[in-house]
Amino acid sequence: MLGIATLVVVVVFLGILAARGNVVDQLGNVWGSFFPPAATSTQGSEIRGLYDIVFLLAAIIFLLVEGLIVFAVVRYRRKPTDTELPPQIHGNNLLEVIWTLVPTLLVLFLFFVSWRTLNDVDRVDAAAPVQVRAVAARFQWSFEYLSPDGKQIQFKQFEPKMFVPVGQKVHLRLQSADVIHAFYVPQFLFKRDVVPGKENSFDFTADQAGTFRGQCAELCGEGHFAMQFTVEAVPPDQFQSWLQQQIDNAAKQSQQPAASAPASGQPPASGQPPASAAPSGQAGATTLALTAKGIAYEQQSLEAQAQAPFTIAFDNQDDGIPHNVDIHDQGGNSVFKGQIFPGVATQNYAVPALPAGTYQFVCDVHPNMTGTLTVK
Amino acid sequence: MATTVLHPPTTAPGYRSGLYEWVTTTDHKKIGILYLVNSFIFFFFAGLLALGVRAELAQPGIQFFAPTTYNELFTIHGSVMIFLFIIPILAGFGNYVVPLMIGAPDMAFPRINALSFWMLPLGGLMIAAGFLAGGGAAAAGWTSYTPLSEAKYMGVGEDLWILGLVLVGTSSILGAVNFLVTIFKLRAPGMTMFRIPILVWTVLVTAVLVLMATPVFTSALIMLFIDRNYGGHFFDPASGGNAILWQNVFWFYSHPAVYVMILPAMGMISEIVPVFSRKPLFGYRAFVFATAGIGALGFSVWAHHMFTTGSVYLPFFSLMTALIGVPTGVKFFNWIATMIRGQLRFSTPFLFSLGFLTMFLIGGINGAFSAAVPVDFALHDTYWVVAHLHYVLFGGSVFGVMAGVYYWFPKMTGRMLNETIGKIQFVLMFVGFNLTFFPMHMLGLAGMPRRIADYSSAAGWSELNLLASIGGFTIATSMLPFLWNIFVSLRNGEIAGDDPWEANTLEWATSSPPPPYNFDRLPPIRSERPLFDLRHAASTVGHAGAAAAPATEPGA
Repeated sequence: MLGIATLVVVVVFLGILAARGNVVDQLGNVWGSFFPPAATSTQGSEIRGLYDIVFLLAAIIFLLVEGLIVFAVVRYRRKPTDTELPPQIHGNNLLEVIWTLVPTLLVLFLFFVSWRTLNDVDRVDAAAPVQVRAVAARFQWSFEYLSPDGKQIQFKQFEPKMFVPVGQKVHLRLQSADVIHAFYVPQFLFKRDVVPGKENSFDFTADQAGTFRGQCAELCGEGHFAMQFTVEAVPPDQFQSWLQQQIDNAAKQSQQPAASAPASGQPPASGQPPASAAPSGQAGATTLALTAKGIAYEQQSLEAQAQAPFTIAFDNQDDGIPHNVDIHDQGGNSVFKGQIFPGVATQNYAVPALPAGTYQFVCDVHPNMTGTLTVK
Repeated sequence: MATTVLHPPTTAPGYRSGLYEWVTTTDHKKIGILYLVNSFIFFFFAGLLALGVRAELAQPGIQFFAPTTYNELFTIHGSVMIFLFIIPILAGFGNYVVPLMIGAPDMAFPRINALSFWMLPLGGLMIAAGFLAGGGAAAAGWTSYTPLSEAKYMGVGEDLWILGLVLVGTSSILGAVNFLVTIFKLRAPGMTMFRIPILVWTVLVTAVLVLMATPVFTSALIMLFIDRNYGGHFFDPASGGNAILWQNVFWFYSHPAVYVMILPAMGMISEIVPVFSRKPLFGYRAFVFATAGIGALGFSVWAHHMFTTGSVYLPFFSLMTALIGVPTGVKFFNWIATMIRGQLRFSTPFLFSLGFLTMFLIGGINGAFSAAVPVDFALHDTYWVVAHLHYVLFGGSVFGVMAGVYYWFPKMTGRMLNETIGKIQFVLMFVGFNLTFFPMHMLGLAGMPRRIADYSSAAGWSELNLLASIGGFTIATSMLPFLWNIFVSLRNGEIAGDDPWEANTLEWATSSPPPPYNFDRLPPIRSERPLFDLRHAASTVGHAGAAAAPATEPGA
């Protein structure tokens, strides 16, 4: 019966693979799915090394024990000729000692290798060259870039994108504004809780350039699933010039307060593309109403006239949660980026004239808030 | 042959209606059946919530439930499955079987027994009533981490959850006291501690765990209630409280509770495997020590749920967590050694026991990954953990429960469950279970966090989620033959007789179902298998009559 059940699982599985194309490639993919994604940080690579050891041990034990069960089931089924009782064996002390000691040694080995890796990946260097603080709040991430001594905030990035230099150690502090969150980047094979009332920190070194997806991993409420961010690892010189530019921008903005600061008192988002919008009352020819509620746009599609500026009256109804509207063309380039501001509040975004076509609008804070803008 | 004649207490004569009898009963067997029925009702309820979760996750995008509702679904699913299904149903089996197994006429405190049962439906209804409350049911997960579960974020549903769990916890504590006294004081003559069935040992260790851990949890619940309603700040860091404190007290209970949820299932498997192998359990004493070892170590591993908090001493909890695998491994080898050189009979109870062995093995091994702390940094709070806990609690406990249902149903009702339908149920459940939970390992490795209502179609998790959802509905389908089997077998099932399985333990020495006072007469108890001794008394070479039982202790 168990054999039939296992067979059904295997047949269904192979059937699904066969229906999708080359079975050998597919099996390779399946094998790969038993492992974490390729690590993109030095600490992540060490964890991956440990994972491979644990996986190997686990696979051997699994095959051994499951094999013994299958052997017993196949070999010792009751036959019609079995009228006599089988030998009534009550136990064997030597065997008990063996199968207590051998697993004990195995788990001790496992403990020691994991302890060694732990000491490497958990080492914190408060004087690391790059100092960042991730601030988690329901339901968004922002990143504060700190001075080298880690004491002063040089500027704050409201968009959930964290820029880091490749090959340089980043000391990341974690701060929560409300409940417990967790900073999790699957490709770093690492997460650490963000606990209110306590500053956790850890170090990581991205060892290749790229964009790595991250997400909150501790349930924090109804918008938990939407609490995403990315880590963008760029070459060190690029990072330095970006950092300097942001620091200069922040300095400029602090010199001209009030005039452009939004009602909420938050500084404007950094890393703006060229067509940044100043919140203003200049209305375009038409006004489109757009409401954000429950970490989603209530209007999934908007329509506007081609080659004519228009206004989006953006109503953010999520209390304390920042949103904005960022319009992307088909190539994924931002053609308009609205100010990020927390609810409950309304802003009018003056959008410049756009050529006819289909655009996507997203919230930069919550990348899974999307809608379609049709310009014709 | 020497027999011990018991003098049953005379029960009050006179007619009572069936319903009145069931509501007022203090008979441990009726209370045991009430436990089972009540637990299965909550099982189906929580199962429907799980179907809601799987329906929502089957494809990317929000289709059926708003995120708030989704959070309520998995919160109540987890809470009800753990506190109102697995823990009570195992207590229910204990209630029914333990007094019979040790040759007692009832539990030590029959009225307290009834009280502990009746708190359960009340507590369960309070938790479920959250769905009717303003602001919805509790939605902070079954772990209810502070500060998310504080009044600022959670409505009345959370208070109902707390109060419901206080009732359920009190029920557990009373039940544990009852089990301890029963096992220590009511054993039949000859039933020494090293002759009681392994199931009784596991219930004993479970009762100790409950007695030591549940009061801690109850205190934590009351502290949270004070925080929420009377201006306390135990867990509120903004006012001098500590958010992590909740996790420490919660897991100080909830990790031992995992053993509360698995040890009795291991005990049931340890009764069933020898019977269907026609051999004694290999290493009875090793089994007892392993059970006690799991119970003792179980109190020193709670913080392995908190490796990523940055607030625990990692090497200690990593070491203890690794070590607790050893006694579990000992049990595995003993079960397998019991089957080897036996004569295996593949009846439904044994099939479900094999399901337990094969699936719980995976649940044990994938737990070892999380014992290696750096690997846990990668896997914690992802779907890997969801896979792990379901392989332990579903692949382990629920398959064990099903084995127990098929095994003891004849004793409880006097009729056999249908074998063919049982095998259909087993295959559906086994396939559905693996289809649902195996892909979750891969999802966790690929970085899918648990407890998310939605995921991006670009994340690459869509296919595995669809597979898991198909599996979830397959599990639901497997419940139809189960219910049908119970329905038809209660009416037309084959008459069981006293001992349909050629079993070893005392409950099979009395009629099916047993009389209210359990035994007219008891066979002599000279080993951990009194019925085996009775059955093979004449055929055992070199011994005759009452001397048939082995002179030495088993397993020595």
